[in-house]
Amino acid sequence: MSAVADMNTEKALVRASSLNVRPEVWVPLVLLIGTLGYPFFLLITSAFNVGDPEVFPARSYGFANFVKLADHLDWIKNTLIVAGGGTVLGITIGVSLAWIIHRTTMPGRKWFDLLIAIPYPLGPLVGALAWSQLGAPRDGLINRFFTAVTGIQTPLIDIYTPLGIIFTEAIFEAPVAVLIIGAAMQRMDPALEECSAIFGSGKLRTAWKVTLPLMMPAILSAALFMFTSMIGSFAIPTMLGTSSRFYVSTNAMYVLLQGYPPNYPLAAALGFVLIAMTAIAVWLVQRVLRGRSYAVISGKNYRPRQVNMGWLTWVLFALTILYVLLSLILPMGTLLLASFQNSNAINFDFASWTLRNYKYVMFDFPTTQQAIVNSLILGVGTGTIGVIFATFIAIATHRSKSDGRRLLEQVTMLPQAFPRLIFAIGFLWMILTLPIKLYGTLLAVLLAYVIVFLPLAYRGMSGVVVQIDKALEEAARVSGAGAARIARTVTLPLLRPGLLATWALLFMVSVREISASLFLSGTNTQVLGPAIFSFWDSGGMPRVSALAVVQALIILVALTVVRVMANRGVKV
Amino acid sequence: MLATNPTGQNGSAADRRGTAYIEVRNLSVAYGSKVVVKNISFSVGRGEHLSLLGPSGCGKSTTLRCIAGLETPIAGEIVIDGIPVFSSEKRINVPTEKRKLSMVFQSYAIWPHMTVFENVAYGLRVQRVSHSEVKQRVTDTLKMVGMEDFIDRPATDLSGGQQQRVALARAYASRPKAILLDEPLSNLDARLRVRMREEIKELQHKFDLSTIYVTHDQEEAMAISDRIIVMREGNIEQSGRPLEIYDTPRTRFVADFIGAANIIAGVPQGNSAAGGPVVKVGDALLECAPGSKLHAPDADGRHLVAVRTVYPEMRRAGSPRPNQWPGKIVRRVLLGDIVNYTVKWAGGELRLHAFPSDLFGEGEEVQIYIPAERAIPVMAD
Repeated sequence: MSAVADMNTEKALVRASSLNVRPEVWVPLVLLIGTLGYPFFLLITSAFNVGDPEVFPARSYGFANFVKLADHLDWIKNTLIVAGGGTVLGITIGVSLAWIIHRTTMPGRKWFDLLIAIPYPLGPLVGALAWSQLGAPRDGLINRFFTAVTGIQTPLIDIYTPLGIIFTEAIFEAPVAVLIIGAAMQRMDPALEECSAIFGSGKLRTAWKVTLPLMMPAILSAALFMFTSMIGSFAIPTMLGTSSRFYVSTNAMYVLLQGYPPNYPLAAALGFVLIAMTAIAVWLVQRVLRGRSYAVISGKNYRPRQVNMGWLTWVLFALTILYVLLSLILPMGTLLLASFQNSNAINFDFASWTLRNYKYVMFDFPTTQQAIVNSLILGVGTGTIGVIFATFIAIATHRSKSDGRRLLEQVTMLPQAFPRLIFAIGFLWMILTLPIKLYGTLLAVLLAYVIVFLPLAYRGMSGVVVQIDKALEEAARVSGAGAARIARTVTLPLLRPGLLATWALLFMVSVREISASLFLSGTNTQVLGPAIFSFWDSGGMPRVSALAVVQALIILVALTVVRVMANRGVKV
Repeated sequence: MLATNPTGQNGSAADRRGTAYIEVRNLSVAYGSKVVVKNISFSVGRGEHLSLLGPSGCGKSTTLRCIAGLETPIAGEIVIDGIPVFSSEKRINVPTEKRKLSMVFQSYAIWPHMTVFENVAYGLRVQRVSHSEVKQRVTDTLKMVGMEDFIDRPATDLSGGQQQRVALARAYASRPKAILLDEPLSNLDARLRVRMREEIKELQHKFDLSTIYVTHDQEEAMAISDRIIVMREGNIEQSGRPLEIYDTPRTRFVADFIGAANIIAGVPQGNSAAGGPVVKVGDALLECAPGSKLHAPDADGRHLVAVRTVYPEMRRAGSPRPNQWPGKIVRRVLLGDIVNYTVKWAGGELRLHAFPSDLFGEGEEVQIYIPAERAIPVMAD
């Protein structure tokens, strides 16, 4: 009897262990691999294209483009200088601020925690625009102020230098590092440090031997995030580097593509090199992190032990204020100031200020007016579609028993390693080869946004989904509720706070985006980022500033609404 | 051998209460290529309280989740109240929500975004019970678990014990066919655990529903159930009434896992006058329970006999008789309510439990006596 039953088990086991990929996994997987893979394929084939540069995909292949690229190694060198330097400076700022806010008794930590987060959603475009007016060697506000006070004619700072670019990149990306590293600090069991102190280690030794190694995974992932995003950053190097002919890969690609005739293959080859660089960075970080257990810093939140730094507290306080000043107050103040002016020169005479720049960009000039409306539509669209798609994938990867869940997660996170500008080029070529007319429509931009921001959305939603105990849904099932009822009464209400936060984040990054929309938004589908950029290109600082202030205000309103909602006690 | 031990059901509640209500036949479950439940069969009578007991990873929770429909077995059949809800052969798999069961989870699974009332009312609302009746039944059930004062509280305001009471009320309020409890007390502290155990027992009597209770705590299983199934590595190791399992463990594993036992290894030496096997342990001849038989020897060729630590008797002096030997106390550990002794005797070392009313000292010479009916031959692993 037993033998027969055993054989049945055996047979059933063979059935069960064969590959089992369910639709909730393979449908999004196929969709993603298609929309990511085809643009990538077009980029690669174009990079090796030695025939007609306007044929996609290419027909004759060779290495000629890479040979030509060897004449422009300075683009790649400059990219590495900016991304490397920016990452080092950004991580230094990020670690310091995270430590000050989470691990010291400095007064006002709560307020600074809020303020420090703002520069990131404001974005590099606003940052570059503001700092070009603050740090220009001759008529920059800081240098004007410096000359007026000291009488010295030589400028104090020059933002139109590699160092200026590195500085601006770093202060606007640092909030991400504060967020990632701060979260890890909150999840570290203070007993790990207390134990080291009990064995007789001093504060410094404990910090060096215990705290830093435990924080290393978080620091490295923050560094990776910064590095890849700086390799693909466009606005800052272009607005601060072009005047001194300092080219990084992204604005070199822009020039190659805008030229007559556009040099698609060389731009694709350059893009290929950038993707290879980010891939190597991802691989390196994963190699270093392999074998490191995250167990000590996962799960529940602890209250980290806070150190009273004595008189040094005021030094830390001053440093924190300095960061807020450089990344938020001065840039926003400058943009506001510039937006009230009659001409490019900033005038402190209150009586001559005007609001007509705002009237112009919001009501009189159809292009910018349309850009504002389109950006709002894109923000709402990307937020909504992105959140729905990301929630679906998060539930599939965390709840489904299907094979291929890991693969789905990896593919979802893949766009993070693609510089957005380069993906947008591949995407553009893809929609040009499609039979349906997508080029020049808002839908094309929307699709590109959803894909490039999917890692961000997925990260947010998967963090919420894993926190929801599976038993909460199972309890509803056992109580007799069907799938739709469970979704309505249990899953969605529990996801709501996370849905809102992720939606708002997607809204903000879509409103401020420029890299992904630069080539995709046509003349009839202007959006804010590229509109600000082309406005800047054609001069007229007061109007650009007004438009940038409008963009910043939209983002700040979204940020405030989320904060208020979170404080209203939408509890998990 | 893998099927239900038929002796386990003799005189059990299943027989008293009539036919099987839940039947599990030849159930096998696998995660990937790892088989975690291996072709097990058992049944639960109407109104019977059954415990699945075993260490973590023995497949007890998986079995329970299969009955609930939360896991899909690779083979076997599950029948509830005469209706097959799962059958690999007939390709039946009734979804969880149609099985009309209730379940209490280890994490309580109290919905944090609802009030206590909404939590308990959930299943009733799914059943489209009328508004006034929902109110009545929720209030009544909450009264039974002593939580009626918390009815409008948000569920997040409750302590662990209170959440567990709400989870129980939620399970009973919907009047299910059976209640499944998955380690419901393991997240509570020891004192509360004992109290909740009593409360669950009381609820079981009030509602008279079939329950399956999964636990790794033998005390809980003994206290709550009519019948216990001991599981190990996906197999049923033994099944029977609590005292039956306690007194006559079938295997070394059961003897070790439930209560505390001395496992004595010896060589067969014929039979005693009373009709029990005799084994030679060291220099001692140990007479085993009359009517019992030694099982197959272990890898070292020795036969195992289990003696619960509570059953050996210890005296300062006594006239010689079979199964009595002189010994010397080598260690004494005071635990409060009981005292643990380790005694050196001809067969090696024997652990035994006694009470603090009559304390022996370390180094004291004693006579130990093992009643033959308490020496149970067990199967080696």
